Amino acid sequence: MRLAYIWITLLILSILIPAGFWYVDWSKSGDGAGLYSRDWLPEAVFGYWNPDDFYQSVDAVVGEFEGEECVACHRDMSPGIVKDWQASRHAQAESKVYCSACHGSDHQNLHLPTPDVCATCHVTQHEQFVDEKRYGFPSHALAMERALDAKHFVDKPKAEVTACLQCHSVATKCDSCHSRHKFSAAEARRPEACITCHSGPPHPDDETYFNSAHGQLYLQQGQDWDWSKPLQKGNYPAPTCAYCHMTKGKHQVADKSIWKFGIKQINPLSSGNVVKRQQWIELCSDCHEAEWSAQKLSAMDRERKQAWSKLDEAEALLKGLRSDDLLSPSIHQRPPYPGDDAHTLLQRERIGFFEGQASAFYNVSPIERDYFDMWYFSNLGAYKGSAHGDASFVNKGHKAMDQQLEAIRQKVTVIRATGKTEADKTDPNKTELENIWLKGEYTEYNREHN
Amino acid sequence: MLRPLFLQTFLLTFLLTCLPPLAHAESREAVEGEFSHEECIACHQTTEPQLVADWQQSVHAASEPVALCTSCHGRDHQRAAARSRHNDSCVDCHGGGTSPVVHSYATSKHGIIMQLEQKEYDWNQPLREANYRAPGCAYCHLHNGNHLTAKAEPLKPAEADMDRITTSCLDCHAISYISRLNANAASMIEIARMKVREARQLVGEYANEHQAQADAELTGFMQQTKKHLRNVYLGAFHQSPDYQWWHGQPALDGDLLRIKGFIGNRQQNTDDADKTGTKPVR
Repeated sequence: MRLAYIWITLLILSILIPAGFWYVDWSKSGDGAGLYSRDWLPEAVFGYWNPDDFYQSVDAVVGEFEGEECVACHRDMSPGIVKDWQASRHAQAESKVYCSACHGSDHQNLHLPTPDVCATCHVTQHEQFVDEKRYGFPSHALAMERALDAKHFVDKPKAEVTACLQCHSVATKCDSCHSRHKFSAAEARRPEACITCHSGPPHPDDETYFNSAHGQLYLQQGQDWDWSKPLQKGNYPAPTCAYCHMTKGKHQVADKSIWKFGIKQINPLSSGNVVKRQQWIELCSDCHEAEWSAQKLSAMDRERKQAWSKLDEAEALLKGLRSDDLLSPSIHQRPPYPGDDAHTLLQRERIGFFEGQASAFYNVSPIERDYFDMWYFSNLGAYKGSAHGDASFVNKGHKAMDQQLEAIRQKVTVIRATGKTEADKTDPNKTELENIWLKGEYTEYNREHN
Repeated sequence: MLRPLFLQTFLLTFLLTCLPPLAHAESREAVEGEFSHEECIACHQTTEPQLVADWQQSVHAASEPVALCTSCHGRDHQRAAARSRHNDSCVDCHGGGTSPVVHSYATSKHGIIMQLEQKEYDWNQPLREANYRAPGCAYCHLHNGNHLTAKAEPLKPAEADMDRITTSCLDCHAISYISRLNANAASMIEIARMKVREARQLVGEYANEHQAQADAELTGFMQQTKKHLRNVYLGAFHQSPDYQWWHGQPALDGDLLRIKGFIGNRQQNTDDADKTGTKPVR
């Protein structure tokens, strides 16, 4: 009898496991890409950022072309790329790397080079880049998956989320940092190479670095430094983004990452993180005393702890409102969350990182959005200020969080004082509220167009 | 759809590269001295009447204060052209380095390459044929020295403006890429406009129903939608993902839901007040 249980379990598993694999394959085989590929259709322009999945070569020119043939025509057609290429090491090498080496030679079947194409020659850099995947999100190498599998990416009209792919394509094309067609290592060593993506409210890496002592030194003198030198001790008077995050030119930014994106609380003193702290201290010791660096890391621990105590309080207040069914509009009066059906069972408002609030910043009640802004913008600004050594951003972030927390506290008090009664829930103005939240030009368009 | 555009590009490229360079450009260095705006106009009206006419039709001639020849070119004739091609000639009047119009460009790939390489460029080169590795403001907006910069209002670029600017893209980029980017930008901006229209509709209905005076808070939200819509537009055309997204679309989402929250609350309070006979609570 007992043996039968084992056999039955094995039998069920032998069906379920392959079925699971089959399901994942099936869900990835739609017209879009990623885990939810069946739920959306790409824009034509997506091919430039995710060429493997979407690039379609134009068929305006017929024929096979190699080497100088491409150059001869494109010198007139698009002089910029030819001049760029001529200035690159590709054109100056003893045996030139011509257009066709990366794009192919059949003009009706051209392709855009992905990191795999660059890996034909740049083996070490590619290995380091791919190795990043084992550290999980966030990473450059996993960035495209991160975008495509994000529920709000799937849910929103595709032309709206084009912006996502422009940065997340750092996973699928090397020219995010080494701009085409010069592909200069020196350019990628400069902090500016990073700021097209590493800027803006949730990751003000640009401002916090440029405000820091390191950044100030760079802004004053950087123009005169020799950028052809590798990123190692003695070559640069002050560190840049890549000096610290891609030490010695290692194409791998995730191995020392402790707080990562900063959107969830972690234990900075876990055994793994203690090893990473040691790596930071070693790196800083290119210029600083070990003790001084350790103190800086501890100061950051304190700043983060303080930030999270504010965020935790806000999150608890919101969860309290949810428990008492006081969020307005309630989950049933607002459009379903990205990826959810309107009639999914056991729906509830998503609050905080672990419930997926990072994908739920629209179609939510104002107080939930207030918390999102506090968590995503003010908190992350303070984090980056703390990490990059910009006290002004730390202060600004904490001041903003204090104000936002106080505003949330006051709103909660008002909501609790005027809160919904049982009678309100069957009130006719419930439909009025649904009209506001479920109808409207964009709201309806968003539901119908992914 | 791509074939006619391809031909158009080919013709444009042919015309631009084969037309003889303007005689004026060669004689520039021969003219020495400092000149006032009136003196510039007086002379260039005969040497380059089209250029002067273009400037007169442009927003620069209509602005307050008027952007004169000397505002961008300075007074020194020999340095006039090179000086005006730098971004520095544009930035101050266009809101400074932190204004969205400048910052969206400055954080784009074009902007950062310009920042890094501008000292190496030969600024005596005309603004065409990718003579500069990255385009500055003037490379696109005054491509090939065309002085008819934007004449339309910022959020409604005239077709002619777009065509002219697109011509500058083609010095480096394929027509297929640019036409797909432009089509995508148009859809992206239309989506942002949908959000603004949804907000405006709600606010309008609310004002009608309640005969409410313009409420400061609501007016504030509506002003934010304008700012954020413009960010999407700037992000799309200056190639700044950050302005398309963080300063644009999700910011508009926030405006819209706050407007909904405000109106929803007010309506609930008014209805409660009707039932209980008390005054509405804010």
